[in-house]
Amino acid sequence: MTETTRSGLSRRSLGTALGAGAVALAAPGGARAQTPTTLRWWSPQTAPAQREAYNFQIRTFEEANPGVRVVFEATSDEGYPAQMAAAFASGQVPSVVTHLPHFAVATYWQNGLLEPFNDVINMIGTSNFYEGANRIYEITPGQFAGTGIGNSAANMMWLRRDLMQRANIAEAPRTWDQLRDACRRMQGGGVFGAPLPYARNSMTSLIFICFVHGAGGSIFTPDLQVNVDNDAFRNALEFYKSMRELCPPGATNYSWGESLTAFVAGATATGIYTGRVLANVAAQNPRIADSVTCARYPTISTNVAPWTFNDFPSVMIPKVAPNMALAKRFAAHLFRADGYIRQLHAAPGHVLPVLKTISAMPQYQENALIQKYRAEVDLMSESAAAGHNLGWESTRHRPNTAAGRIIASHVLAEAVQRYVINNEPMAAVVSTTAQRLEALMRG
Amino acid sequence: MLGVMLIAPCVLIFCAVIVYPLVSAVYLSLFNIFTPTLKGNFVGFQNYADLFAGEEFWRSLFNTLVWTVCTLFLQVVLGVAAALMLHQAIVFRALARSLILFPYFVSTVVAVLVWRWLFNDLYGILNHLMMWSGLLQMPLDWLGSMPNAMVSIVLVGAWKYFPFVVIAILARLQTIPDQLYEAATIDGAGAWARFTDVTLPQLKDVLMVVVLLRAIWDFKEFDLIYLMTGGGPLISTQTLPLMVYKEAFGLDAMGRATAVAVAMMAVMLVFMVLYLRRMGKEEAR
Repeated sequence: MTETTRSGLSRRSLGTALGAGAVALAAPGGARAQTPTTLRWWSPQTAPAQREAYNFQIRTFEEANPGVRVVFEATSDEGYPAQMAAAFASGQVPSVVTHLPHFAVATYWQNGLLEPFNDVINMIGTSNFYEGANRIYEITPGQFAGTGIGNSAANMMWLRRDLMQRANIAEAPRTWDQLRDACRRMQGGGVFGAPLPYARNSMTSLIFICFVHGAGGSIFTPDLQVNVDNDAFRNALEFYKSMRELCPPGATNYSWGESLTAFVAGATATGIYTGRVLANVAAQNPRIADSVTCARYPTISTNVAPWTFNDFPSVMIPKVAPNMALAKRFAAHLFRADGYIRQLHAAPGHVLPVLKTISAMPQYQENALIQKYRAEVDLMSESAAAGHNLGWESTRHRPNTAAGRIIASHVLAEAVQRYVINNEPMAAVVSTTAQRLEALMRG
Repeated sequence: MLGVMLIAPCVLIFCAVIVYPLVSAVYLSLFNIFTPTLKGNFVGFQNYADLFAGEEFWRSLFNTLVWTVCTLFLQVVLGVAAALMLHQAIVFRALARSLILFPYFVSTVVAVLVWRWLFNDLYGILNHLMMWSGLLQMPLDWLGSMPNAMVSIVLVGAWKYFPFVVIAILARLQTIPDQLYEAATIDGAGAWARFTDVTLPQLKDVLMVVVLLRAIWDFKEFDLIYLMTGGGPLISTQTLPLMVYKEAFGLDAMGRATAVAVAMMAVMLVFMVLYLRRMGKEEAR
């Protein structure tokens, strides 16, 4: 007896049909409709205007490469270490990753997880980059771990001229004493002095490093020995503590977003951020747009030069990324003038160009915000060009490939919290921090 | 032979979903493994020795217990109270029964975003109302200082999960025979006595299951606490699941992370056995 299905198809003919389907699926690519090749692009920079620029770059790449589909996937500044670790561990890696700080790239490179970037740099054109722009990515001589997609000056001090005028402050503070005094004078009427972070997160660690350098110190010596048991580190902690009363109560939970919003919304008289402030003020609080300006962040005294935190937003390709040749072409495509300028204009002054050919283009210069804040953008560009971060604390320092792990461990943010919030003794905080840093450097 | 064949699928599935992950976790905890490459070397019980010698594990365990006990207590109290209320013939009872489930169904990420906004020091309605009513002179730091941070996450946890208790208790309340209450009333029992002598004993079994399940789920709660405070200030609200995450993906130490996870499982097992034995004894009585 032949059993039939509800549609009247016999079991034998159904089996034949399924068999034929299976054979068709197993047939070589040419025998069935071609599935598109998919590239996955990860970035923690995901503001709406930036997403629009990314969509343009994706569209132009897909048009130039029929059968290729590029999918953008967002990560975050606080969340990328976990996401990248899970991606590497599972082998399900993105094709191209952009905007991670350079020290993260260094850590992945050191562990053999990245594809050398020389081909991409050659496709972009070595001579198009600013002199020495790729030096920090040359961790292994002759091989580049990635390249910069931009520069940033992440610890610019943002000020409001209207509040300064009201408080009779003639010039931007240059030293910590002047900064504290200015914040005191401008604080009041619902406005706090500064939005410094006191949370247990990467922003607190990264910003506190700026203060250590602002005190004339460093976290590591040039040959990467722990260097926190000294006056510079103690002075930085002491000053950071003294600023607590001038920051909003919730600064103990601030990360980049909250700190930026506090200044843009007018809740703090000063800010500490990149040039993203300009676009956000223009869009969210144009009332203060004519009063906003920036300066390099003050240091302990005029004898100590300002230190700019440039996280060198990067581009990198995981070693096991599929469709490697295509991934490299896409990475190079991100630097094509039409798309790259859109990216930079999405937040003028936030990510600054690494290609001198782009900086010189009228299309880049023509942006309304760049023109309005010409002096500020120039200052940020100049500061970022001389900038450093924990992965490369000064030109004398060796690259620190443990920097990513140190930031993710929150050791430095915890030092801040122990001293400022828990009121633990300075000696104990410094000693514990030194021990933990040494343990992290040992791996 | 047929018996073995019949039971084999069950045993195989049990091994695949329970035994294998368990053995893998214990095995991994004996290695020093770099998470992104999953490569490492055998270190024996060193991960456990480091864990128990350090302060962080014990502090995280303490935080986990504080969080679990406090939020569970509030969930049960609120849940039973709400269930009793919804069991009465009140206006819009059906609507109220649906609405009370809202916190449980809403995504944790959305719930946390809303609560963080309410707790915000500069724009949050809580601080605004308290300052407006004269309770506070300056905004309160709800999430960045202790004990406020722990109190805040406990309250949000209780708000988020008490509807589960409501569902379970309400279902049981509807099956308690009315005759029991009538008999108690005839015997002169007041409202409180009817609650303690009739309702509570009838709810005991379901409460036991609810407490057991919620205790397990609260003990391993990750997303709500991570999104609310990230474990801070310092490690004041860092529970064991957050420590596992930090070790595995922050510090790329998968071996140490699994050691914490195994220790966490052992702790949970001890408490569950004690709890079940106690409940078993009470039932035998």
